[in-house]
Amino acid sequence: MSARKELLISAAVVVLFAFGPWLSPLVHLDVSIVSEVLVTAIAVMSVNLLLGYTGLPAFGNAAYFGLGAYGAALSVKYWQVHFIEAVLIGMVAALLGGLILAPFLLRRRGIYFGLLSIAFGQVFYFIAYRYTDVTGGEDGMQFPRPYAGLPSAHVAVSELGFYYTALALFVVALFAFRTIVRSPFGRTLIAIRQNEPRVRYLGLNTDRFIFVALLISATLAGLSGALFGLLINFAYPLELDWHQSGYFVLSMILGGAGTVWGSLVGAFIYVIGKDIISTITPLWQIFLGALFVACVLGFPRGILGSLQALGRRQPQTFGDDDVNAAFDAKAPVEVGRGV
Amino acid sequence: MNRPRLSRRSFVTLAGAGSAAAVFGIPAYIPRIGEAADSIKIGLLEPYTGVYAGPAENETHGFEMAAEAWNKRGGIMGRKIELVKEDEQNDAGVAAQKARKLVNQDKVVALCGTVSSGVSLSVAGVANTLGTLFMDSGGHSDDVTGKSCHWNVFRTCHSTWMETHATGYALQKRFGKRWFFITPDYAYGHSLEAGFKDVLAHNGGSVVGNELTPLGTTDFSSYLTKIDAAKPDLVLVFVQGDDYTNCLKQMNQFGLLKKYPVGGPQVELEPLYGLPPEARGGYWGIEWYYKSEKTLGKNNKVAQQFVADTIKRTGGKPPTARNAFGYITLDRLAQAMNDAKSVDPVKVARAIENVHFTSIFAGSAYYRKEDHQLMWPMWVAKIRPNGTPGDKYDLFDVTDINAAEAVEQTIAQKQAVCKLGYPG
Amino acid sequence: MIEHLGPQLFNGLVLGAFYAIVALGLSLIMNLTGTINMAHGSFMTLAGYLAYSMVLKHVPFGWALVLAPLFAVVVGVVVERTLVRPLYKREPFYSLLMTFGLSLMAEEAFRLIWGPNGVPFSPPASLAGAASLGFMQFPTFRIFIVGVLVVAIVALALFLTRTRFGLRLRAAVQDSEMIAALGTNTQLLYAVNFSLGIFLAGIAGVLAAGMLGLSPTSGNALLMPAFVTVIIGGMGSLFGSIVGGLLVGIAISMTTLFIPAASEVAMYVLMAIVLLVRPRGLFGEEGIFG
Repeated sequence: MSARKELLISAAVVVLFAFGPWLSPLVHLDVSIVSEVLVTAIAVMSVNLLLGYTGLPAFGNAAYFGLGAYGAALSVKYWQVHFIEAVLIGMVAALLGGLILAPFLLRRRGIYFGLLSIAFGQVFYFIAYRYTDVTGGEDGMQFPRPYAGLPSAHVAVSELGFYYTALALFVVALFAFRTIVRSPFGRTLIAIRQNEPRVRYLGLNTDRFIFVALLISATLAGLSGALFGLLINFAYPLELDWHQSGYFVLSMILGGAGTVWGSLVGAFIYVIGKDIISTITPLWQIFLGALFVACVLGFPRGILGSLQALGRRQPQTFGDDDVNAAFDAKAPVEVGRGV
Repeated sequence: MNRPRLSRRSFVTLAGAGSAAAVFGIPAYIPRIGEAADSIKIGLLEPYTGVYAGPAENETHGFEMAAEAWNKRGGIMGRKIELVKEDEQNDAGVAAQKARKLVNQDKVVALCGTVSSGVSLSVAGVANTLGTLFMDSGGHSDDVTGKSCHWNVFRTCHSTWMETHATGYALQKRFGKRWFFITPDYAYGHSLEAGFKDVLAHNGGSVVGNELTPLGTTDFSSYLTKIDAAKPDLVLVFVQGDDYTNCLKQMNQFGLLKKYPVGGPQVELEPLYGLPPEARGGYWGIEWYYKSEKTLGKNNKVAQQFVADTIKRTGGKPPTARNAFGYITLDRLAQAMNDAKSVDPVKVARAIENVHFTSIFAGSAYYRKEDHQLMWPMWVAKIRPNGTPGDKYDLFDVTDINAAEAVEQTIAQKQAVCKLGYPG
Repeated sequence: MIEHLGPQLFNGLVLGAFYAIVALGLSLIMNLTGTINMAHGSFMTLAGYLAYSMVLKHVPFGWALVLAPLFAVVVGVVVERTLVRPLYKREPFYSLLMTFGLSLMAEEAFRLIWGPNGVPFSPPASLAGAASLGFMQFPTFRIFIVGVLVVAIVALALFLTRTRFGLRLRAAVQDSEMIAALGTNTQLLYAVNFSLGIFLAGIAGVLAAGMLGLSPTSGNALLMPAFVTVIIGGMGSLFGSIVGGLLVGIAISMTTLFIPAASEVAMYVLMAIVLLVRPRGLFGEEGIFG
């Protein structure tokens, strides 16, 4: 597809969301729910980079997500920072978390990586849960929504202001994500997913690639977490729990692993779906669980993945399709030069 | 293959946008189902999943019965009450989010519910920001009607201060002054500890051991082995929910229940029914009971009807204090809206304050104007491990009744920490 | 403090034996098929509830201890054949995700069947009291638990090393394609192996229900320590799971004694130290699972 066409369609989606505050009341949704979709999509992206593109079962990304939320929460509460500063602090907190865990996680691959991610992620959960004096423990911590931080605007960010900030940050994150996965670096990650030993034979230090991917993923999750904290003005331990990681992974699969826009589609279905089901019945867990089972067994490529498979012709160059092909079989791949 | 030349990627993106639009459309139909015209919507936040699912279910029964009773009488100002239920998952963060959703999206005029204190505080904060009434039916933290009090927040169940003082005096009278605490290591546990230390400070006595146990402890053996060494007059257990079950069960297995009297500020029937009889025992604070004149009052027709209706509704299970919280809370809220002839939060709040009423418990009560705490009696009961002949649910022998004013902090004490801050 | 050391150490060992048996079940399933069974805790809870219902119908506790896990195994086999089996050929995280979904559904199902509150379940009167161990009074039921767990572990070891089927199982862990080529029905191996894991979980579940509480969420609390146990012991090693379990138990009980606030983090710290010194875990085999 031509770059122009892709740009057009992307722009159309963004414009659709730009009218979100007018569209959402028409379908009985509060704009904050749509904000949550955008925010969650960024976290799903972070999982997508590790699991969808690199093939590492990222079942611990909730830890970075929670670090972002607590980073923002603590900095607003104790230092009274502005909105953007809070977001940056949240991202840095998550990045630091990634730096601490990377030496442990890098040593293993496959399902072992997933197990380690879960276990080490739980450490952060317990810290938030137990260090009550600072984090409020199980009760979580409430904080006021901070000032916008622009020289002219000394007002707390409104619901609408938040929505557009989230939309802007989502677009930036998505563009960065797309650039990364289409770069030689991103292609190397895909190659690692498909056949790591071969990439090593080519003389590339795969640990280093995975290290960088891990840090990018952590930072993205931190951005998402910080925004989520600022959206609900609250940080709480369950944000760091492995269940949360599982929900991110599910959303990624729903949307389509290894697709750029899949994160948004998956987050959309997950957030809105959960919102609707939990209103209808207190038995929402059964439905969510069934969604997991059905999705894994019957729909492993997700919505965008399946659509792409339908519309697939001859694979020509690197693209999302090739990643999806790897979910079925080991397709031969070229290897980029990387960083 | 000769497909029309729709480029792959544009196809994909189009389809993605299309499916997104389709999903956008779905919710349009959902919330309209069962929406009564011009009803008064009240949001109910309860932890239907997680460790407090049992209490949540019982509170909900109480809320629904109150709503049905009002609707049968024609509703409030001719408008039916409609409860919009949400699962707050016993999680302060989820609760904050759901509270926003109920107010912004479902347009409820008041929020009710919650079981654990952290959740109550979180919902109270959100409700205050949004300017919506919140009736805390079941979260006990002192802060709700203390240092975090708000003009829009009322609380039905007892404060921890009431629980500790009601039981503290009753237990000291019976067992002596060397106490051993098993305290859950979080805000609620610490406030219970502070309350009992205040009792000891008044009457003289000492804490011979205080084990801080993490929330969610499964194995208590490490803490229990220290009790024997301390030789206390009384072991006070503050842990709640599943931790309570684990702790008492293991105390029994270690033979401690036979050696030392046990008690605590409060016990609920829900976890007690989950304990084997041999692990039940001791003196505990209770907040309501379905089968005692001390709690229901003499010939209280409303209360008797409430008990009978609940048993019919649940297929044999008698109401617990949680059922009562739900019923009293919504009944009072509806009454206040009816009295104020309005759903305006400030007007309704004013119509609740200091209005004395009788309900399904002994005597009369009122939500105190200065802190919005419901001032009703707090009881103490001795546990009958096996119930009474013919009623296996009948576990409490109610022994003491304490007037609210005698066990809650005074107005002056409350005013030093609580500023309600009405708007305007 | 010091006078508590002996009793506390013993407490730690009991707890550790518990983690070990849960971890053993997890390991068995993981080693052969690469499936991380997130629903392991749900099977424990299921067996606990089944035993509760049986005892309510006057089945003796001893029978319930065997029958309830067997019923859980029946459920387990159905789940394995219908839901887990199609995922063997796929990447392992799919089965992780699927069993995660199952555990969510199971929790809600328990709530629907047995109610949201915990249910009273206690060991029979003959096991109820406390016995003297010389240095301390110790609950009889805990001593019984240790006995059952030791028997279960020894029986498992004998099965795996002394029977033909056990040998095939171990061989399949090494190279399942070769075993299939030699004419063994690998699907049968998978099913039996899964059942063994669930059976161990079931026994642990019934014992846990007797010692602790029994509620829809109670099994999940034991899942995370079991994971840590597997990591510490080393993936691919059953012996490692046993040693790992005991280490985790002792680590928890010792920190509870000296710094209670750190008791939950203790096992994770232990895990980090072990991984820094030995990335594959104490007895893990190099090359298994990356």
